Amino acid sequence: MDKSNNRLFIHKNMEPVSLEHSVEIILTPEFYTLIREELDIKFAYQAKQIAESLFDDYLDSKEYQYHVTKGEGAWYFYAYNIEEIENFIESIGIEKYRVSKIYFAQELKNELEDPIQLSETTILQSIEGIVTLIPSRLMNQHASFKTLNLKTVKLNAGISMGASYASLVSLKETILLSSIFIILGTVFIFEGNRIKSSISNENTQLTQLLDDNPSYGSNMIRENILEKYQPIDKTERAKRQSMQDISKLLSANSELTTLNIEKSIIKTSIKISNTSISKQVIQSAKAKSFKSTSNGENIILEKSL
Amino acid sequence: MNINMMTLQRYKNELIILMAFIFLILAFTYKLSASTEVHDNRADIQKQITQISTIIALKEQWGGKKLANKVKVLQTVVPASKVALFKKKSKKLVASYQNLTGKELSKVTNKLINIPVQIVLLKINQSAKNQYTMEFTCKW
Repeated sequence: MDKSNNRLFIHKNMEPVSLEHSVEIILTPEFYTLIREELDIKFAYQAKQIAESLFDDYLDSKEYQYHVTKGEGAWYFYAYNIEEIENFIESIGIEKYRVSKIYFAQELKNELEDPIQLSETTILQSIEGIVTLIPSRLMNQHASFKTLNLKTVKLNAGISMGASYASLVSLKETILLSSIFIILGTVFIFEGNRIKSSISNENTQLTQLLDDNPSYGSNMIRENILEKYQPIDKTERAKRQSMQDISKLLSANSELTTLNIEKSIIKTSIKISNTSISKQVIQSAKAKSFKSTSNGENIILEKSL
Repeated sequence: MNINMMTLQRYKNELIILMAFIFLILAFTYKLSASTEVHDNRADIQKQITQISTIIALKEQWGGKKLANKVKVLQTVVPASKVALFKKKSKKLVASYQNLTGKELSKVTNKLINIPVQIVLLKINQSAKNQYTMEFTCKW
């Protein structure tokens, strides 16, 4: 066997090997049990679910792992004991971490139509579509053996050493839990983006206002301007409101005699021609926060703005 | 390294769930931080917008450039003979009226309060029955 080859047949009569690189191993039938079944099953996971029950009558009480492939209208069920394989490859000098992939010799059934010699005592050949180990003493002495270049053969249904152990969580649970987490996570990201974009309108509005009025960028400047204009706004509105309030107090029986506005104080004098309405004028003025003093016919109203 | 790869292979389902869970935690953290950031910034941004909008509105109202023209109407709202003084200088107006009837007084006053100027001084006196004098100083 070419030891520089990245693929190796594993059989119990093989010589110890020394490897400097990773290797793909091809298990001979000594290391697995095969059942070929034509079943009306569509998916590999369904086939894997029934694999254990298929081997019920064929295997001992050891713990087995199962592998399933499909080919030529039938399902191929493999049962193997990974610990036994590990122990064996370590006994022949292959550290298990160097094994990158494990294949089953059954995959080479077409290539093994003609026998190959694994060792002096062991022949590997496909008999009626099943790859089988044959003691060389049963072979014709003049039989010729082909040379199989493992580098060039196509192998698809490999498994990894780690994957051959049963995971604590099943694939179904993994898909379910991961999907829930990913969906929830996506919802959170979407929500986060929505929250962030909810402020973008305000940001755009502020940027626009600051672009149009760059001098208002400073909080101190803004507050100074507001301190100047807000009192003006408040006082001037109060002056105008007060003048309108006073005009509402005037009638055919009450006329304005004076009105002064100076230094935020509004003062007015109203002459009453009919004393009966004096009380009414005073009450209305009071409702508008005017201080009132009555002097016979004159009512003087005053208010600080 | 290869041993680690094997372990990863063996526990790949758990790892997938773990990674999905980490994704969920990171996404949730992102949502929380976005929420906190928006909460903190929104009040500040809205305060700034309100301040700037208020300044623009107040400046436009009480310091608008067209006020100098608008106050001219106070000179023509009553007959010229009743306008004793109408002196406009810079951003200040001093005006006085005499012999205004109650109706004319009401007209001038209404015009004045509808123009957004600062009324510094206003004096209205009744000089006779239904006759008034009025003087005011305003600025803008």
